[in-house]
Formats: sequence, C-alpha cells, structure tokens
Amino acid sequence: MKKKWRRGASLLKSDSARIMLMKYGISLLVTMLLGSILIYAQGVDLGYAMAEVFKGAFGNLYKLGNTLRWTAPCLMLGIAASVSFKAGVDNLGLSGQCAIGGLVAAVIGYTAELPPVAHVLLCVFAAGFSGMLYVLVPAIMRLFFGINEFIVTLMLNFVAEIMSEYTVDMILAATGEYTSATSTPSILSSAQIPIMIPNTSVSYSLLIAIVLAVALYVLYKFTLPGYELKQTGENLRFAKVGGVKVVRNFLLIFLLSGFVAGLSGGVEVLGVYKKFNVGFATNLGWDGIMVARIAESNPIACIFVAFIWGALKAGSLQIERVTELNRFTVECMKMFFVLMVSIDYERLYYSVKYAIARRRRRNAGKEAG
Amino acid sequence: MKNQREQDAYILRMVDIRKTFGELVANDDVNLNVKKGSVHALVGENGAGKSTLMNILSGMYRPDSGDIILNGKRVTFRNSLEATQAGIGMVHQEFMLYSRLTVFENIILGFEYKTGPLINRQVCRKQVEEICQKYRFNIPLDEVIKELPVAMLQQVEIVKALYRGSDILILDEPTSVLTPSGIEGLFDAIRFLVSGGKTIILITHKLREVFEIADNITVLKDGKEVGSITPRETDQKHLASMMVGREVFMQANRREHPFGEELLRVKNLSVKDKDGILRVKNASFSVRAGEIVGLAGVAGSGQQQLVEALFGLREPEAGSEITFEGISLLKMTPAQRRKLGIGYVPQDRMKEGTNPNASIWESAIMGYHIAHGFRSKFWLDHKAIDAFTDSIVEEFRVKRQKNTDKVRSLSGGNIQKLVVGRECLQKNKLLIVEDPTRGIDVGAIEFIWEKIIDLAAQGVAVLLVSHELNEILQLSDRILVAYSGELADGGRNGEYTEEQIGYLMLGGSV
Repeated sequence: MKKKWRRGASLLKSDSARIMLMKYGISLLVTMLLGSILIYAQGVDLGYAMAEVFKGAFGNLYKLGNTLRWTAPCLMLGIAASVSFKAGVDNLGLSGQCAIGGLVAAVIGYTAELPPVAHVLLCVFAAGFSGMLYVLVPAIMRLFFGINEFIVTLMLNFVAEIMSEYTVDMILAATGEYTSATSTPSILSSAQIPIMIPNTSVSYSLLIAIVLAVALYVLYKFTLPGYELKQTGENLRFAKVGGVKVVRNFLLIFLLSGFVAGLSGGVEVLGVYKKFNVGFATNLGWDGIMVARIAESNPIACIFVAFIWGALKAGSLQIERVTELNRFTVECMKMFFVLMVSIDYERLYYSVKYAIARRRRRNAGKEAG
Repeated sequence: MKNQREQDAYILRMVDIRKTFGELVANDDVNLNVKKGSVHALVGENGAGKSTLMNILSGMYRPDSGDIILNGKRVTFRNSLEATQAGIGMVHQEFMLYSRLTVFENIILGFEYKTGPLINRQVCRKQVEEICQKYRFNIPLDEVIKELPVAMLQQVEIVKALYRGSDILILDEPTSVLTPSGIEGLFDAIRFLVSGGKTIILITHKLREVFEIADNITVLKDGKEVGSITPRETDQKHLASMMVGREVFMQANRREHPFGEELLRVKNLSVKDKDGILRVKNASFSVRAGEIVGLAGVAGSGQQQLVEALFGLREPEAGSEITFEGISLLKMTPAQRRKLGIGYVPQDRMKEGTNPNASIWESAIMGYHIAHGFRSKFWLDHKAIDAFTDSIVEEFRVKRQKNTDKVRSLSGGNIQKLVVGRECLQKNKLLIVEDPTRGIDVGAIEFIWEKIIDLAAQGVAVLLVSHELNEILQLSDRILVAYSGELADGGRNGEYTEEQIGYLMLGGSV
C-alpha cells in the first residue's frame, strides 16, 4: 500500500506528469473563474448553478442517459478529428461530412424496406461512404493541386449544409407526400438503432463509438500501418525517404476521417432523431474538433473528454430549464477551456523551472562570494 | 600599471560568460579578450559553445551571468539592434538576405537615411559606394540577390555589417560555403579590413585557416574555455588535441582491395528541380561493388537532384538511364529500390533522416520495415524491433538510455550514428551517403568514416556525396566532381592534388 503511494509520488516528480497536471489544472481553474464571473453577472447563485449542471448531467438514470447520449456523437467526431490531426491533415469539414452522412442514412432509412439488421448496416455504411466521397473533393485538391485542405474543408461545410437543406426542401418535400421544409420523414423502424439502456435515450451508438476509439488506439499503438501513418503525419519527408507510400497514406487518412464523420452522422440520425433535421451536425463537427484538441488526438483520452463534453451538454440544457442562466454560458466556458489547453504548457513549465534554477544558482553564488 | 595598459589594448572583453539552455550548459564561465585591429579565431568542435558565445555578443541571447566590456565600458545588449548600434556586426552561417530584393536594398534595409518619411536613396547609395570603394568590395549593387553566387552573398553580408557601422565583425564559419579560391578572396578581404582598423572574430573549426589568418586563438571545448594562445605558440596537431582533448589526426585508414562487378550504372542522367531548371546535365558514371565513389562539388551544383533521382524521390528527364545490377530503376518507388538492396543516408538528419519528436525505435526501423519486414506485416513486433534497434545502438555506439527516448534528446553525432547505422545494418548492396559527418564532432566523424570503409571492404558499393572536400579525399577510391550540373572525372584517389580538385569544382580542367 505504502509502496504504491510512493510510486504515485515519484510519478508527480516526473516533468511530463507535472506538465499534464499543470495543463488541465490551470485550464480548469481559470475556466471556472471565468464561469463564476459569467454566472454571477447574470445574477444567479454560483453554487446553485453548478449543482444544477451536475444534477442535469448525473441526477438520475435518465439524466445520466442524456449525458451518455451526447457522449456518443462527440466521441465519434472526436475520433474522426483525431484520425486526421494525428496524420497532419487539417480536416475541419467534419460538420459537412456528418451532415451528408446523416442525410443519406435518413433517405435510405425511410425509403428502402429491408430486414432490421441489414437495414441498419446498409444505412450506416452508406452514410460512411458518402462522408468519404464528400471528403474526396478536398483530398484531390490537396494531393493533385496543392490547395490547402484547411480552407477547402471549412468552406465545404457550408456547401453541405445548404445542399442538404435544398435536398430536403426542394427535392424530397416537393416530390414526396409530406410538407416539412426542415426535415425528412421519419425512418422505418427497421432502420432504427435500438436503445441500449432501457428508459434512457442511450442507443447502441455509444457502443459503436467506443469500439471505434479502441480500434483506432490499437491501430496506432500496435500495428505497422499505424506506425507508417504516424510517421507520415509527423515527418512527411522522413517517411517518404524511408519508402513509405505517403500519397496513398495521405489519401487513406482523408478518406478514413471522412468515413468516420459520415458514419457518425448516420448513427446519430438512426439512433436519436429517427429523421434528418437540417443543421443537426453544425455544432457536432466542432465539438469533435474540440474533443480531439483537448485529448491531444489520443483516442482513449477522447473517450473521457467526450464523456465530460456530454455531461456539459446535458447539464447546460438543465440549467436553462431551471435557472435564469443562458445555455450559452456553459458553451462559452467550454470554448474557453479549449483555448486554455491550447497554451504551450511544456514551454511555460521549462522556462519557469530554469528561471528558478538560475535564481538559486545566483543566490548560492552570492552567499559563497 | 602594466596590467591596466594591457587591458586597454582590448577592444572587447567578455568576462565569465555563462549561458544555460535547460540542463545544457552551453557556456561555462567563458572569457574572451580581443585586441583591437586583430583577427581573433574562436575554435572548437561542433557544440563547443562558439555560436552561443557569439550570439550573446551580438545581442541574440542574454547571458545568465557575466559581463561584456566594450572599449573599457561595461555594456548590456537587450537585443541585436543594440549590439549593432554599439558597433558589433555578425555574418551568420546562413545568410540573412531577402532573395527578391537587390544587393543595395538588402544592405540599407532597416538602416536607411531618410528625408522626412521617405528613404533618401542618393545618400544611402553614396554611403554604400564609399564603403565598397574603401574596402575594395566589387559587388553588383543592383543585381537581385537570388541571381548571385554564394561567395558574393558573403561579401554583401560583410558590406551590410560595415554599412551599419560595425567595428567588430563576427564571421561564423565563413569558409564552409566557399571554394578554395573563394576562401583566398575572403582572407584578402579580412586582411584589408584589419589594416583599416576593423577587428575580426572568426568562428571556425578548420585548423588550417586559423594558422593562415588568425593573430590570436581562443579554444572552447564542451562550453568551457580551454585556452588562449597565438599561432606562433602552437601547431595544428597541438591545437587539434586542445580542441578534442586527445591526439586526433583525422586520417581515414583507407584499404586497397579489389573491386567487384559494376552495380550502379547511370547514363545520360538529366534532372530538373522543382522550378523546372535543369540541375543535372547528361551525367554518366558507374559504381562497382566494394568501391567508394566520392562526388565532390560546391553546394548547389546539382548533387541534391542527382541523389534524389537515384533514390526515386525526383523524376529524371526522358532519355536518362539508371540501372542497378542490370535492372532499370527508372519506374521504381523508393520502397522498391530499398527492397533491391539500396540504402540511403540523407543529408538532413532531422528533416529526412529521423522523426525527431518520436521514439528512437521509430526512427531506427524506418525503411528496414519495408525492405526486410518483420514476421508479421500487420502487427508491430516489439521484440524484433528492439533487437534491430539494439544492434544499431551497439555496433554504432549510439549513446542512449532507452529505445523509447525521443530522438531529439540525443546529440547530433548520436543521431547521425543512428541514421548511418540503420542504413549500414540492412545488408544493402549499394549505399548512397550524403554528407555523413556534417556538423558532428571529430570522434563521431572518425567512427563513421571507419564504418563506411569497413562496409566497402565487405563488397558494398558506396556513392559518397559530400560538401567537405577532405572527406571525399580521405575516403574515395575514385572521385567525381560536380560543377553546374555536369560531372567531371576527378581521377583515382591521389591522382590529383586537393588544389586540382578544387579547380575542377570551379569549372576548370586539369
């Protein structure tokens, strides 16, 4: 028992552990401080607000379910973002790919009549492939014309959103029998992803998301293709000289990231909304990017971050219901937290450490002198 | 009293300078005393702390402790501008010039004479021309920088420093980019500057230059000052042993042995660079098993494009032929070339040789995992990976703690040993080696030379591309000289003198 404790203490002495602690500790502290000011400014008692967020996220099984329900898409899109960031690809078009995937899943979901499991599989894979096709545009532009994917993927988000709106309103609604301008008809029950935990809104999407995270972890940690992808992302010239097929790997990364983003859109539609709502993916894409950013693109860390993200989402809905607070207070705190963890703490840590060492040396010199 | 007068003769004194970067002590209470109107050589191996000391003097770094005394007064520089204003100018190893501006614009940049808010070009022009005339610099003021050869750029940098009013000029490894005749030109300029009252601090690790030009020498080793002497008090051997702390001769033990059959054959190879400029023109040569062929040449003579074409990183022009053991390499990827038994040590160990932010083993198996592979094509076999990494570490004496340490945590020499070791231990038949000893210490250079010679003795064909002429002369069985994209025959080892090869590097003929 004592030995274990000592190992923990020596872990705290290592620089990397201290940097981690500093990173999340300082970020959390400063974010809470800002949050307190925001909450106080709106005239709400701080403790009360915090308690309500907690109640909203973990208060009972149903509310914990809400947290988990939001964990699933945040995690899946976090994975999609991690895949691309790890390999040095800036895929900021997750929302767009997610929306396209969702639309395709919804359309197949309400038109095709198939046995339950096959129907779900078809929808999910079609969603993934459509996300993949959609990401092919920036991939080709990057690989063959040297156009930075940063801006292309970003712009294609708007294209996806407007295109899906157009499809719903002007094509599906105009030719079909229903009249909603903002959503497709509900999918058939055979296409629905069933609920995993009874009496909650947690579907098997969560399981799919966790499996994806673990698979990605295994790929990077234990396999040669993962090794090559990592080298390609971290030092392209090095990988190329070593004989790695970097163009193929680059394309693979793009496609994989798009596939997961499209898939997550499909899963979200089949598991939660049961129909495609225009704009449902807009925030999700950015949530994914933020989750990946905080988790430093580590898929296992993504699981925990996504869980916290889900809790905050569920909690923020609660405080808007029961207090005067604006839901965006929590959103604002989330963004601020991402900003704080983006600080280069490693550099900060070492500069402080060596400044202290220098001062000690100088003082010692003075005493000796 | 005498002591006082002696101190007055020094234009610059750096007293007990200490500078640390993290755990590393780059300068450990170093002293430097420079006499007015002299050439002071600062020598030491790579990483001895020369550049750090000079960066402190030129205001780029601030020392942790210690004083700079300029003309008898204690000064502190908060930035490089303050150092410039105090009359200290530095010519860096990598030139700091804007390639799209003209020579004149580069010289006056940031220090323009103005009338109101506008630059008064006439006054500036007159100043620059006066300096050029006074110190006999003949540089084309209205040419654009990127059109000019390297030797000219160095002169531009010197004139720039003079225009800014420098009394003390720091030259950081100024000869590393020059040909033998360019070096002579530079030394003439230095002598003339000194006779005009300027003071020169010369950073170098080439001993011969020290004896040719320097009045005083300060030797640094591992961040500490080993001693200050004059060239009359010492000789090259003694100075070399001061630098490395042991007797070093820097002599490779080349062994004569019979060569095997022709492995690599290149015929009419032409290669364009990324801007579409023809950099290799109709090159033809061959390398036989067991033979070390050295490719000498001033930087930028097309060596880079030639090597890239050989390894499949750049596509050659139509009509080029590259065969290895009779098989055409033209359509092959780097991976396929590796599988045939071709190894490559790239010039830049941090950008191409390793992934500096990842573990040592990750850099150690790159290429090996393609050419030889592990038992599983899919799973990482950490036992086999560690075995291969350990074999490099042992045979090439890479100083490291664990295979999972970051490559960045190793010193330059150890990283280079890792890269060379990786390519040497794959039973390759042909090894293309580019600048294998650039910027590493003498001990590591000798070690790597020995390994390359061993490899050739075992029957491996080696193409050695180096910008260090001495390295080519020491190792090569046969020498090729690149000049402006064309290859000239440099003869068998010893057939031509160093001067003759230098002449070939400039486009002459022997």
